[in-house]
Amino acid sequence: MIDKAIAMPAPGVDAEVMPARGRVVKSKWTRDLLTFLMVFGPGLIVMVADNDAGAVSTYSQAGAQYGTHLLWVVLLLLPVTYFIQEMVVRLGIATGKGHAAMIYQRFGKWWGLFSLLDLELVNFLTLVTEFAAINLALSKMGIDPRYGVPLAAAGLVFIVLSGSYRRWERTVVFLCLLDFAWFFIAFRLGPPMGQMVHGALIPSMPAGGITPELMFLVIAIVGTTIAPWQLFFQQSCIADKRLRFADVKWARLDTFLGACITITAALCIMIAGAASHAHGFRFTDPAQLAADVGTYAGPWVRNAILLMMINAAVLGTTAISLSSAWAYGEVRGWPHSLQLPWREAPGFYLLYLLSVAAAAAIVLIPRAPLQLIILGVQVLAGVMLPSAIIFLQLLLNDRELLGEFSNKPWNNWVNWTIIIVLFVLSLILAAQVAAPNLFPSPAGGPTT
Amino acid sequence: MQTIKTNNNHFVVVHPLDDVPETKVDMEALGPMPMTRSVRLSLLSLRAYLVLMVMLVVYHVVMLAR
Repeated sequence: MIDKAIAMPAPGVDAEVMPARGRVVKSKWTRDLLTFLMVFGPGLIVMVADNDAGAVSTYSQAGAQYGTHLLWVVLLLLPVTYFIQEMVVRLGIATGKGHAAMIYQRFGKWWGLFSLLDLELVNFLTLVTEFAAINLALSKMGIDPRYGVPLAAAGLVFIVLSGSYRRWERTVVFLCLLDFAWFFIAFRLGPPMGQMVHGALIPSMPAGGITPELMFLVIAIVGTTIAPWQLFFQQSCIADKRLRFADVKWARLDTFLGACITITAALCIMIAGAASHAHGFRFTDPAQLAADVGTYAGPWVRNAILLMMINAAVLGTTAISLSSAWAYGEVRGWPHSLQLPWREAPGFYLLYLLSVAAAAAIVLIPRAPLQLIILGVQVLAGVMLPSAIIFLQLLLNDRELLGEFSNKPWNNWVNWTIIIVLFVLSLILAAQVAAPNLFPSPAGGPTT
Repeated sequence: MQTIKTNNNHFVVVHPLDDVPETKVDMEALGPMPMTRSVRLSLLSLRAYLVLMVMLVVYHVVMLAR
């Protein structure tokens, strides 16, 4: 590492301003690798954090109910999730601003406040589900949630309070890399390789064909893989990290690698669910699934699944709380950066702290209607996603704002196709939950 | 200013947070996005749809909670 003095230009002279710190390398290959490692982070974090507690629950349920039949649905979401987040990368790098600020400034206060309200509402409810999962996993591990949940909340607050973006990012990237444990779990529990490859590459229907229950689960898988908070989080993260125009290709690679890792982890979670299905266990929740498969695969598998559940919830919580705090700070014009010590950005850190603390507290209330909150979150997120992506699509076609970074015609074709599909799915999901008898199951009973 | 070529054999790689901030598009100067009437109407319909769906979901959840 070398330190360079910043060469201040003389008044009126356009002299080159040198950066304060840099690392000297000799080959272009090393330069590219090092640049990638410096840019790496927001893409991986947004993708892996998307495999949060709700996602673990949905994927494992899909595996537990339908075996390996729905693996292809998850694989199909890899390009979709990448295309959407890649747009966020361009928007964040071109403007250096967060998504909430962008909607507020380009669409006006009315739309800005509506978008912010939607985001804050769904985010808070999602946070409750993250802590509900921590609660559940701790209980199964024999740890009293009355101590474990506040401890997890305190840890989540502690990791952002260092006043260093880099310190927060390194901690969270480490937690993201722990997701590789799902590969070992799937390898230990998984069905034969041929069956997994077949399930992932060849679309097939489970026995019984298309039922309302199957539709509900497919929609839940889509809803959990692409969430509104991801748009806000990654763009604010890129703005906070101050990524440069030249970093676009590395940020795209970061996002693509993140998408590959998260989709592969999702497949592994589904495979773990399929293993419990193969042994005849009935799915209730991922913590029970861990206990079930632990009876034949050993206690390390059981504990690994429970720990990965907690890790997923912790990652989801830090990313979602930050997306709320960043968005609110952007709209209110408050200082909002992880680079700032808490004294210089009190509103930003206070909002993060309140989000985490309130969600943790709700989970500890005896007989809180957690199942209802989880249900509500799934539907609200599904309903709000297409609208969030429409704003993104309009911003990406704003040539005045983005210039060369704006969408190409093929981007628009792909994105409008995704928006239409998501819209139809969100309508079906909302209708199915709001009016269960609208889609009677073959047996004539309620569907949800 | 991602990398600065110091000579033919050496490069200096700079972390984005250590680099000199880039000049980005001036959002304040741009002001609100010009929208046609059809875009404005589409967004209003979208908002109405969202408000309706949220009310429907809240109603359903409240009924389930009883």
